[in-house]
Parts: sequence; structure tokens; C-alpha cells
Amino acid sequence: MVFSRLVRTIKVAALVAAVLLNGPLFAAPMESAHDLMSKMAKASRELNYQGLFTYEYRGNLTSVKLTHGVQDGQIYERIQHMDGAKRDGLRRTDNVDCLRTGDMLLRGSAYRINDQSYARLEDFYKFHIKGQGRIANRQVVMVHVLPKDKHRYGYVVAIDKESGLLLQSVLMSHTGKPLERFQFVDITIGGSMLELGFDPEASDFADVALDQSNCIDDNRQITTSVSNWDTQWLPPGFVMASHKIADRDGQESMMFTDGLAVFSVFIDIDKGRSLPAIDANLGATVAVLTKADINNQEYAICVVGEIPRATANQIASAISLSPSLSPSPSPSKSSSP
Amino acid sequence: MSDHKERLDQSLSALMDGEATDIELHRLLKEVSEGSELRDKWKRYHMVSSAIKGDAAIASIDYSAAIAAAIDEEPAHRQSALAVFAGSAGRFAIAASVALVAVFGVQQLNSPLDSIAPVSEFAGVEQVNEENTGPAIQFPSGFQPVINARTVSAGGNNKSSQFVTPIIEVRQKTQRNYSEAQLRAYMNDVMAKHSKHATLNSNQGMLPFARLNEAEAAAKKE
Repeated sequence: MVFSRLVRTIKVAALVAAVLLNGPLFAAPMESAHDLMSKMAKASRELNYQGLFTYEYRGNLTSVKLTHGVQDGQIYERIQHMDGAKRDGLRRTDNVDCLRTGDMLLRGSAYRINDQSYARLEDFYKFHIKGQGRIANRQVVMVHVLPKDKHRYGYVVAIDKESGLLLQSVLMSHTGKPLERFQFVDITIGGSMLELGFDPEASDFADVALDQSNCIDDNRQITTSVSNWDTQWLPPGFVMASHKIADRDGQESMMFTDGLAVFSVFIDIDKGRSLPAIDANLGATVAVLTKADINNQEYAICVVGEIPRATANQIASAISLSPSLSPSPSPSKSSSP
Repeated sequence: MSDHKERLDQSLSALMDGEATDIELHRLLKEVSEGSELRDKWKRYHMVSSAIKGDAAIASIDYSAAIAAAIDEEPAHRQSALAVFAGSAGRFAIAASVALVAVFGVQQLNSPLDSIAPVSEFAGVEQVNEENTGPAIQFPSGFQPVINARTVSAGGNNKSSQFVTPIIEVRQKTQRNYSEAQLRAYMNDVMAKHSKHATLNSNQGMLPFARLNEAEAAAKKE
């Protein structure tokens, strides 16, 4: 009696083992790299955690203590610098459920560019799971993200096995050299707002303005105001994630993402005269400033992002004023000296 | 007799017991190569130890001279690369090379990124010049011309602080007819804005924060 039950148990165990071992044949119990990436997008926003991370580029290293808490659909963050000048920051984001373009792309959904075409992350990157590792005393899955073209960089990322949090990210150039490295050295996941050291009423955030950005609507598109500017060339896969119309200083900005890489375009209506055409970079971030002379207005067009300089140059040189629209009137400010 | 001799005897005993330190061994070898008194003693010790262990006592045939002569006849091998390497750089270098091999070993998989050890290569940063269109120019505080981009200790212009300060590297494309302060302010501003946008719109977890901090720090320096 006991014996037969044992035999049955063994048979079941063997069957389970067989199913697990042949996982991919039976609709993959193992997480794919892409599942991991989409889990990561969710985790970094929705979990409570507190940790220390370092950021390193070109021989510079800074360390930062970060506390991230979610309460009543709002995200609260405290950023504390551990070295250099004493700088602390509080940040509050309104909507934990807000899906942004980047989230959408990373979660594997196709972002609808227009009625015919969809952008997918897999079209532009290859994902390789490279085994396991240990970061910040936690088990991680290492994933290599390789660009399929020269317009974006690759990444070596480490994703926490249990929570899906991104614990390490190294931006890699095309020649395989690291451009910057972000890495947690210690992290505690979970804990209430109180345990995280936040006032449970979040009253310390009372003075902190809400950060808002463009959420994706049901139509899988962001609702943005119409820009006067045309990006006549974008690296394939990049879609607009946000757009801000000209502010008081006459600066209009747009942001584009392919799900991983992000770049911004700034267009200043009256800075063209006072700024030179120039390239600059800070760490892995490159900025290409060009000037455009349109209708006697000198515009400064600046592309900023963690993308190759050549890509930024190409984007910058292809930005032009929409022919259908007349240039917006220069807001109040007179041209600079 | 002298302290020196006594110490050598002790070292020799230690060596026979397999307990000699590197320094002792070094001293012994030096002494043996210079004088024969210690060498004879060493030989005797060996014979005694062999006898105790029950090995056939190998009387007093001295191979050392013959071996030394044989070695002398092979000048090409006298200083093997490994010996020079080990001698000059010492154990640390060997340990480091092992570590390097380990890093490479672990990463020997199969993608272009595999052959890299991110940690060890940070000093050799990608050359920023892809299509340089103008000369690098010197900027005061906070800015660094691209020529110096390869230095590791980038905080050169802030010697009073032990912390490295963020540096924005700039390449000029056209004639200079603008205010540097204005340009710096503009660059810092757009970079900080970009990073701030990215914290909201990208999926890289907290990464854009780090960049934001750098941009803010650069702005703060102004």
C-alpha cells in the first residue's frame, strides 16, 4: 500500500521533472529575456525598495541612496547623494498605472506608429540570457541586449530573479566598450512607507510638485500637442514619448524612445544667435547642437541622449519646420546680445 | 657568531620544515649563491632529512655545479618571460592575471559583448571623435576639451576636492562668437531636462536618476 503510493509519487515526480526539463517544448516555463525585461519595467515602478547604487563613467563614480515607495497610486522617491556636495531630492509621480511609450515597448506590446506600422523592441535589439550572477547580494539573471543597427547602444543588464528589479546596467558602445555603469551595491525590497522612512501621510512631500508625463491612451498612442517641427529622420524604432510646447523661454521639447534608449530634442526659438553649433557629452550622454535659420529666426536645435554621436547628428540635421504650419511667433523675449 | 648567520641558520631550518617565508627563502638563495658554507650546511641537512625519511642516502655527489653549468650553456632561457614577469611584478600581478583570465573565462559565451570585462576597461573609454569637424577648445571650469577625454581622473580642475566632478566635453564646430557661460548653462540645462524626462519615460529603472544627478551636479558647478 505504502509502496504503491510511493511508486505513484515517483511517477508523478518524474513526469513533472520531464515537463520541466523539456520546458521549451511545453510552452516555456522558463522566463524569456523579453519577459524579464517587461517584468523589469513594471517592478522598478510598482515595488517598494531602498538601496544604494553607484553610477560610474569614465573614471567618475558617484553613489546614491534611493528610497522608492508606492502609496495610493502615487510614487514617492527620495534621492540622497552619498558623496560630494550634499544634495537630497524628493520626487513624486502621480500615477503608478500610467503606461508610457517606453513601458509599452518594453512590455512587448507593439506601439502603434500609424495605422500600418507598429514598433517592437525585438525588431531593434537581440536579447540573450547569459546565465546567473550575484549583484547586491541577490541572485540575478544576466541579459545581454544587442542592438541590431548602429543607431543605438547595447546593454549588459542584471535583473533581480525574485523581484525583477534592474540591479545593474552597463551601456556598451559598438566596439564593446562600457560607456557607463549603474549598479546597486545593496538593496532591500519591500517594507511599508514608514519602514522606508517616509512620513506615512507623505506630508514631507507636500511641497514637491508632481511629475507628469504623457500616458498612453487606449488607442496605444500618446496624446500630444501638434508640433511645428518635423523630425524627418528618426532612427528606426524610435517613437515620440512626450512633447512639450514652447515654454516661456521659447523652448519646445520632444522626447523619443525605442523602449530602452531615450533621446530628447530641444528647439529654442531665440538662442540660435547666441549659441554655437557644438557637440558635447557628459558621461554617456551626448548633445549635438545645431542651428537653423528659418524666416529670419535663428533656431537652436539640440539633440540630447544616450545614443551614438553620429545618430544624434543625423537626427539633428534632419529636423525642420513643418511646411504646413507657419512658424510660431517668438514669445515676448527679444533676441539676445 | 653574527646575528646574520644565526638568522640564516634559523631560516634554513624553517626551509627544511617547509615553513620558510618568501623573505627568508630569498635571503637563503642569495647567501647560497655567494658563499659555500651555507650551501654545504643545506646539503647536510638534506642528507640528514633523507636518511631520517629512510631514503637511500645519496652520499655527497653534488649535482649543483653540473646543473649550474648546464644552465649557463643555455643563455636564451636564462631569463624566461615568466620569471621576469613574476620577478618584477610579483605575486600580485600573477593573481591579477588569473583574475583577468577568470573574468574573460566567465564571459566566453557567444555574443560580441562577451569578450569584454566591463570593470577592467573603464579607463579605456571609447574615443568620442567620430567625425570631428572642428578643433577641441579649452573651456574653463567644468568643461574639458576632448583631447583630454581619455584621462581617468577627470576631476583635474577641482583639486581642492577629493571627489571627481562631472565634466561636459565640448567640441566646437564653428567660429567662436558666443558667451561660454551661456553655452555651459544651456548644455547643463538641456542635459538635466533630458535626464529628468528619461526618469519618467524610460524603462531603465533608476538609471536616469544617476545621469540626472550628474547633470545637476554639472549645473551646480556653474
